[in-house]
Amino acid sequence: MFWKAFVVALIGVFAMFDSRLLGRENFEQPLVVSTLVGLALGDVSKGLLVGATLQLVTMGVVQVGAAVPPDWVLGSVVASAFAILSHTRAQVALTVALPVAVLGQLVAIVVRMLFSSFNGLVNRAIDQGKFRKARNYHIVYGPIIYGLLYFIPVFFAIYLGTDIVTSLVHMIPAWLTDGLTLASKILPAYGFALLMSTMITKKNAVYLFIGFFIAAYGNLSVIGVAIFAVLLAIVLNKFMGNDNSANPEAATAEKADDLDDLEEL
Amino acid sequence: MTEEKQTNKKLRHKFWQFFWRSWAIQTSWNYEAQMNMGFMYGMAPTIDEIYGKEPATPEKLDKKKEAYHRHMAFFNCTPQLTSFVLGLSSAMEEEYAANPDTFDPDSINGVKTSLMGPLSGIGDSLFQGTIKIVAFGLGINMAQQGNIFGPILAMLISIIPSALVTYWGGKWGYLEGKKNIQKLIGNGTINRIMSLMNVIGLMVIGAMIATMIGITTPVKFGKSFVLQKTLDSIFPQMLPLAFTMVMFYLIKKKVNTAWIMVICIVGGILLSVLGIFK
Repeated sequence: MFWKAFVVALIGVFAMFDSRLLGRENFEQPLVVSTLVGLALGDVSKGLLVGATLQLVTMGVVQVGAAVPPDWVLGSVVASAFAILSHTRAQVALTVALPVAVLGQLVAIVVRMLFSSFNGLVNRAIDQGKFRKARNYHIVYGPIIYGLLYFIPVFFAIYLGTDIVTSLVHMIPAWLTDGLTLASKILPAYGFALLMSTMITKKNAVYLFIGFFIAAYGNLSVIGVAIFAVLLAIVLNKFMGNDNSANPEAATAEKADDLDDLEEL
Repeated sequence: MTEEKQTNKKLRHKFWQFFWRSWAIQTSWNYEAQMNMGFMYGMAPTIDEIYGKEPATPEKLDKKKEAYHRHMAFFNCTPQLTSFVLGLSSAMEEEYAANPDTFDPDSINGVKTSLMGPLSGIGDSLFQGTIKIVAFGLGINMAQQGNIFGPILAMLISIIPSALVTYWGGKWGYLEGKKNIQKLIGNGTINRIMSLMNVIGLMVIGAMIATMIGITTPVKFGKSFVLQKTLDSIFPQMLPLAFTMVMFYLIKKKVNTAWIMVICIVGGILLSVLGIFK
């Protein structure tokens, strides 16, 4: 059991590294993760079945921007190992996957806050001229923390029994889970507000609302709005004419004005 | 001839650096400035090359610190499209080092900021919303029949376009940036591009607020009054916009980041327990 738990935990770490170190190539998708677990535990067909089941459930989960969805990487690793080791049906895996995924979501929120505290440390390291140290926060400490955060819970979940994990997850009161879910929806609002604050001026704020209302009323996806935005930019480019190119100083002066506006806000 | 070959080899090395470092951009994703440390890491080879691994003079050391700090600014973009921004920013950093008097270093972050909105909007929709759905739609079908080629096919469909976009994005951003940036800045075109990119970026952020936050209220009185319906009839996605505006107000009031985070979590739990929002 030790080695089985060890290998499954390593698969979990690899799947998690997908969106951290490998540009999110979809190795983290339940179909791939569960198949790998199936291969490691010697039951490929069960792995494929669990993977397909979980993949269907999570098909609509799109990890975009700052939103933290339930952690299906953690969920599918533990669930497929549980289904294979306890010889239960593939569908039963879902009842394990969901609470584990929600647990992972909560952990993910905490980790991302922890990494916020790195910013100060990195800036201090740069001030001291310790550039390697500054880089290490990103490329060494980040992966190590994430790696351990996956390896330890997956290893013990498999080694000590998935039952314990399930009952532990059930012990978390619903109000806390609901509350943190709401918090994880408010935090992206903060992310978008940060993004806005770097770009917005009184003059161009209207474009934010155009984008918002096209999407809100038109039920248009972001890519749909992006297409309209590009077209609008082409039209605006025509109207802006050659003012900027004829008189670069006027353009920079205008830019300075914009910054003044920003400070007034 | 051999010199040209060596330059080409050096360039290819650079493009692969953009490639891997844009894929590795998320290992320190955080709420404060998202992928900022990852971007700094991606720019590090270029900055080190310009100012030296061990800067020879104190001025150079200061410039190097400045450049590292510059790339610690807020950043968020689809990893596959980040290589383009890395390439372009590298070209601009080299341009700044070559012409420190005429080149405004603020324009580097200006270009970055105005690019990331539209690029991540397009990138996320392409990779997450389109390619992933197609790849795993096919993969699930085969896997349910017990065919191991299901996940393999899904991965092939996922990786090939992703790798191509990442490599060519970095290459294109760097080469075009090097060739045209001086011209673009010289005649003020960059300001125009930036304000147009700003338009696109802001519209996409507006759309993201409308589609990706999803805060609703379960409040209702009796059977006839459902608050969410009333809000929707004023305009849909009103709550996400309201929450974003509150956050924007807090940022403008320069409320400390950690406090905003605490407000989000504690407020989220309270509002949820009280049954006001979900």
